[in-house]
This record gives sequence, C-alpha cells and structure tokens, in this order.
Amino acid sequence: MAERRIAFRLNGREVSCTVRDHETLAAMLRDRFQLYSVRESCAQGLCGCCTVIVDGLAVSGCLYLAPLVDGKSVETVEGLGEEGRLDPVQTAFIEHGAFQCGFCTPGMVLMSHQLLQENPQPDQEAIAHYLSGNLCRCATYPEIVEAVRAAAQGSHVAKEEKSHG
Amino acid sequence: MNAFELVRPTRLEEALEVLSEDPETVRPFGGGTALMLLMRSRLLQPRRLVSLDRVSGLDRLDLDGEGNLRVGSMVRLRDLELSATVERFCPAISRALLTLSNVRVRNVATVGGHLAHGDPHMDLPPILLALGASVVAQGPAGPRQIPLDQLYLGYYATSLQPGELITELVIPPLPEGTRGSYLKATALSADDWPMAGVAAFFRLEQGRIVEPRIAVSAATTTPVRLPAVEAALAGEAPSEALFSEAGRLAGRDLHCLSDLRGSAAYKREVVRVYVRRALQQVWAGR
Repeated sequence: MAERRIAFRLNGREVSCTVRDHETLAAMLRDRFQLYSVRESCAQGLCGCCTVIVDGLAVSGCLYLAPLVDGKSVETVEGLGEEGRLDPVQTAFIEHGAFQCGFCTPGMVLMSHQLLQENPQPDQEAIAHYLSGNLCRCATYPEIVEAVRAAAQGSHVAKEEKSHG
Repeated sequence: MNAFELVRPTRLEEALEVLSEDPETVRPFGGGTALMLLMRSRLLQPRRLVSLDRVSGLDRLDLDGEGNLRVGSMVRLRDLELSATVERFCPAISRALLTLSNVRVRNVATVGGHLAHGDPHMDLPPILLALGASVVAQGPAGPRQIPLDQLYLGYYATSLQPGELITELVIPPLPEGTRGSYLKATALSADDWPMAGVAAFFRLEQGRIVEPRIAVSAATTTPVRLPAVEAALAGEAPSEALFSEAGRLAGRDLHCLSDLRGSAAYKREVVRVYVRRALQQVWAGR
C-alpha cells in the first residue's frame, strides 16, 4: 500500500507524519492527531461538519486527500483564538446559544470565521449564503446567523478602538 | 475507498506520460471533489491518480489578443467566481457560480474537472455551450481544440480520448449588448444537484431579438442547445407571449430521463417554465 512522509503546519505548529496515499484529510486529522472536532458526517462535502482550513481556504476534509497538505498550512477549530482566549466567533456562538447538540459547531465556527475574513460586515443574506453548505440538524440557524452578526459587530468595534489608539 | 498511488508531477509532459501508461486505471485528479465521491462509493477504483495540482501552466485566467476568455484547467471554481475579469466578460457565469455547490467545494473543484467529468448535472456546461466555448485537450496525439457541442457524448461520456487531458477553456467574446441568464431547478433540497438547468442569451437590435442562444442541462443526458427555440425567437420583438411560446417549444420535444429528481414529463414541464423565466430575466436586464 502506497504511503509517504509529509510535513505541514498544523494549527501553527510544524508537524510531520506518514500517511497512506488514499487517506482523507479528515481521517488523518482524527486518527493521527486526535483532532476530533473534524467530524465526518455526510462524506459528500455537503454538511460541513468536517470543515478544515487549508492554506487559508475552507475545504471539506472528507473530500480532500491527506498527502496533498504536504508543505501547506492546516487549521482546525482547535487552532482558533489564543491560549485561554476564544475567537470572537466562538464567544458569539456561546453568547447566542448558536448550537444545540454541537455536532456541526466546529464546522460552523470555522466557516463563519472564514466568512468574516473575506467579508468583515456581512448582512443576513451574505451569512446565509456563505453557510448554506453547513447543515445543523437541530436547526439553530437563526441563532447562528445572529451570532455571526454579533461577531462581525464585535470585531468591527474592536478594530475601531484599536485604530483610534 | 480502495488503495491507490498518488503521483504529483510538475510538468504537463510528465503527467501525460504517466496517464498514457494505462488510461483505464490511471486517472487524472484535479480538485478531486467529484472523483472522491466516485471512489468513496467504489464506482471508481483507480490504481494510480495523477494529481495536476503541481503542474505548471494550467492556472491562467485572462483575455487573449482576440478577446477570448482563457481559463486554465486547474483554475478553481472559486477563483472564477471572484474574478473581476470574468464578471466583466460575462456576469451570468459569475452569478451561476454563486449557487454551484458550496464555498468549500468551489475552493477545491477545478474548471477542467468540472468540464471533463461529463456529469450532466453541472452548472457551467450549458452556459458555456450557449456561449460557443471550446476546450483545449492535450494527449498522446498532441493538442486539439474541442467545441463544447462535441465534448459531451452521453451520460458521463465525453469525446476525450484515452490519456487526454483538458488544459484550457476558451470562451469567445460575446457580441456587444448580449445579456444572459442561468436558472436551475433543484428537486431534493435547495443545494442539490440541478434537476434542470437553463441558460439563455440574446441581444436586442432595433427592438428585435438577435442571436438567441438557449441551452438546457441536467434534465437531459448531455447539455443541449435548442435550435428550434432559438429560431422561433430570432428576429422577433420580445414579449411575454413570445417567451411563453419559446418555453412551450423547449419542453415539447425535449428528451428527458426519469430519475429520482423527477419523471421525464415533470422535467419537460420545469424546462418549459424555466426557459420562459430565463428569457424574461434576460429581457429585464437582470
């Protein structure tokens, strides 16, 4: 069985491991790095539960071959925020109760984080559109949209305060 | 998924050489979003995959000297979506991409893979067919240009020869004033593959429709142009009655497949309505 040694940056840390050529990114992150926030659910790229950021772009870990992250930067929800301090999106999800069972939450948080990187002030339509590939079977969509709006507002205020010194 | 070997060449010649070994079990891999689904369901069990992600020269996205939009086969669908060049060239393409699968898939899926897959449920082929686009393919016999109406032979069947790869998409410039629209109907959920897709383009000269182009996909086994509908529109003044008649003609003779997304009769009815709506949109300038 073909396998290879790969090296990449994982949540800000240089790591290396041996992967099988046909291993998915989601399987590698769970089995070899114990990053259980990467959750394979539909295995078709539709539900967003296995969302991973590769070189700054959101991908579905279930449809991405692990060997292809060699030399790249990989982020999961574990890498968001800083030690002891959550990312504003995470805080907003907690404050707005934007989850029920929590299964979809890591993917939702990562996609929301990506959205705000691309579009710091999204309106409701932009949020719904960007997150349309993430499914929440508890249907907490209204709370999720509210949380993303709040996170956008929060980071907006924080940036302004910073720029005014 | 079966075990396979992944090869990552950096030059096109190298990729073509590996692919020519055994085109049955050695397959090209663009973004992989479609291939991964086929492999995970064991419909495809390759021995080797040739990833094109490191092959240089497949990422152009610009206008050539003759005004053709040229898109390298490894350009990601999201890059096409966000490109100001594409938006200026044909806004209907940019708009269609917004509803193509989801952001994660568009971040990874490539233009070449989207076109070579031969799945009739793809969003860009009907638009590109209406625009008279073609692809450049490279293979053991050298490069050749294939017009889109000769690329799709049947359900998941293309005229690409064994060992041949799409390297570029070429879209000729639209005549000044041409406007277009792409509409799709989904049956199982809002973000499902389309059960019918309709692309419509025309321009007006002295109040008359010039060069109407209508293409349908997803409801049919391959994307198809509808010459009879185009003939009925050409030279006429746009009106609600004309668009209704065009829709009726489009639905009347279309050969559709019955499947889990709807019966053939239902799809013909959806095409009837969507051709009318697409034409209305073009007329309204949206």
